[in-house]
Amino acid sequence: RAHGAHPTPSPLSFPPTVTSEQIEHLHRRFKQLSRDQLTIRKENFDSIPDLEFNPIRGKIVHAFFDKRNLRQESDGLADEINFEDFLTIMSYFRPIEMNMDEEQLDRFRKEKLKFLFHMYDSDHDGKITLQEYRNVVEELLSGNPHLEKESARSIADGAMMEAASICVGQMGPDQVYEGITFEDFLKMWQGIDIETKMHVRFLNMETIAHCY
Amino acid sequence: MFLLLPFDSLFVNLLGISITVLFTLLLVFIIVPAIFGVSFGIRKVYMKTLLKIFQWATLRIERGAKEKNHPLYKPYVNGIIAKEPTSLEEEIKEIRRSGSGKALDTPEFELSDIFYFCRKGIETIMDDEVTKRFSAEELESWNLLSRTNYNFQYISLRLTVLWGLGVLIRYCFLLPLRIALAFTGISLLVTGTTVVGYLPNGRCKEFLSKHVHLMCYRICVRALTAIITYHDRENRPRNGGICVANHTSPIDVIILASDGYYAMVGQVHGGLMGVIQRAMVKACPHVWFERSEVKDRHLVAKRLTEHVQDKSKLPILIFPEGTCINNTSVMMFKKGSFEIGATVYPVAIKYDPQFGDAFWNSSKYGMVTYLLRMMTSWAIVCSVWYLPPMTRQPEEDAVQFANRVKSAIARQGGLVDLLWDGGLKREKVKDTFKEEQQKLYSKMIVGNHEDRSRS
Repeated sequence: RAHGAHPTPSPLSFPPTVTSEQIEHLHRRFKQLSRDQLTIRKENFDSIPDLEFNPIRGKIVHAFFDKRNLRQESDGLADEINFEDFLTIMSYFRPIEMNMDEEQLDRFRKEKLKFLFHMYDSDHDGKITLQEYRNVVEELLSGNPHLEKESARSIADGAMMEAASICVGQMGPDQVYEGITFEDFLKMWQGIDIETKMHVRFLNMETIAHCY
Repeated sequence: MFLLLPFDSLFVNLLGISITVLFTLLLVFIIVPAIFGVSFGIRKVYMKTLLKIFQWATLRIERGAKEKNHPLYKPYVNGIIAKEPTSLEEEIKEIRRSGSGKALDTPEFELSDIFYFCRKGIETIMDDEVTKRFSAEELESWNLLSRTNYNFQYISLRLTVLWGLGVLIRYCFLLPLRIALAFTGISLLVTGTTVVGYLPNGRCKEFLSKHVHLMCYRICVRALTAIITYHDRENRPRNGGICVANHTSPIDVIILASDGYYAMVGQVHGGLMGVIQRAMVKACPHVWFERSEVKDRHLVAKRLTEHVQDKSKLPILIFPEGTCINNTSVMMFKKGSFEIGATVYPVAIKYDPQFGDAFWNSSKYGMVTYLLRMMTSWAIVCSVWYLPPMTRQPEEDAVQFANRVKSAIARQGGLVDLLWDGGLKREKVKDTFKEEQQKLYSKMIVGNHEDRSRS
């Protein structure tokens, strides 16, 4: 893990479909964000104006520092990440490849869904509780000043009950639904082709439109 | 000293002859055709020749770089990632449809909704749109102007000689020629409009004023060696309408006004601009505002409305972005001109940066420096598309109407349609915009939620 003065890392630990040219681009972007330092902290993401618009900005930035996403053994949050970590997070958004078999596809899909699951599950206990669900809904709807907190809450509660009915079926009046586990989460995404949608594609060199 | 005399007079004679020849050429090939609106096609031939030379130069650089193993800096104009052109609503509907298969009229919050915002967030982290727009577009082939080449090093003798020749031609031949033309054009405009101003109001005056304006704009177009292709000219703006276009540089005005009759809108300036403005308004009614009046939105709207309602007055030309953008995208249109209620004639202008970058980065260059840069470029090549007229529909407000027009212009010109405010070049993000997307999203959810609870 030796880091000299920003050497361009080789694409060893990543699937061969991310080309070295693309990694170079991301490297340049990383340098821009980190202001030529070797690591990025949460504050560095403040320099992206487009990100201000995003209601779940906090959760997205958080995801970059979440050790579960960084595939590290320990738990919790990292203070800063280097370029390899940056690439690890970006790899959750790589597009599907044509030559993947069933097993690879399944793993691919699970990885992406795990990323989203971690976004919901902020206390890292492996379950999305009602409170965590409410948090996400409130954040997504937070921009609307006319929306009462109560409405957001009731929407979240309704959605949670819906989720419970999908996962557990009919519950008795005394049963308490503890939270959505990852298996339940997978069930709810059944039928949604997340692997074909959750990706960011690199552009090929385009020529400028000519006027004549 | 006395020995120099014969050489002196020879030199003076030569100078005199060359100046006369130059001016005759100017008159015959440029000014007279401009007056009558004819063209010899010299500029098109010029353009084709230049293109061939550029291609050769680029190949030469690439070959040279490969031989010497230099890394070639290849900037990516459109960003490094492909962004989906679908909107928030469409994407969320699509995800839900594929997932739960529920009827679309009972949507509520779905677990999958988070996905759209997540992806958008990652996209912006990978590649940012806004700050890229404010610096001049980066080229992929070299156009023999050292100001645009980041790879310019000594590659080969032939290339350097060519570049040197280019500099010579541009600064010593083209520049004086263009300055002479610009001078002619502007002085003709000022004198012509003043003279026409003395005539009594009537059809004759209108006719003359229109043609004086047109003639002078045409001369100015040639002063910049602007090669313009107009598309769909049947949609040109008519009286009582507002012409709306995307803004890249002050030259936009000249480009549009040389193909149609417009009333200008703008702030009163001092100096040469002021002289021109005062002269122009004598011949036909333009709308000039004092600096203090510009801040008063109601006054501005009132005057524009008055102008527009008088069908004998020419269509107004307005650039709603409010500032110059680098011609790769269209930024937010200010809603003022869309509230007036007149027919809007959108126009898309797209410059080809290969021949000369027309973008005016006003924080970097002043007006004079900018004009000098323009006059020492090879040429200004652009396309103008006249789009079919649009009116405000009853159910949309001014902002939505403005956005609709903006999308049409962006689509036609092949520019990226951005929701951002061009004023960001100088200010930071306004807090009100943070709510835009969230409002839209929450409207989708809460609106439907309320409908359901009502029924």
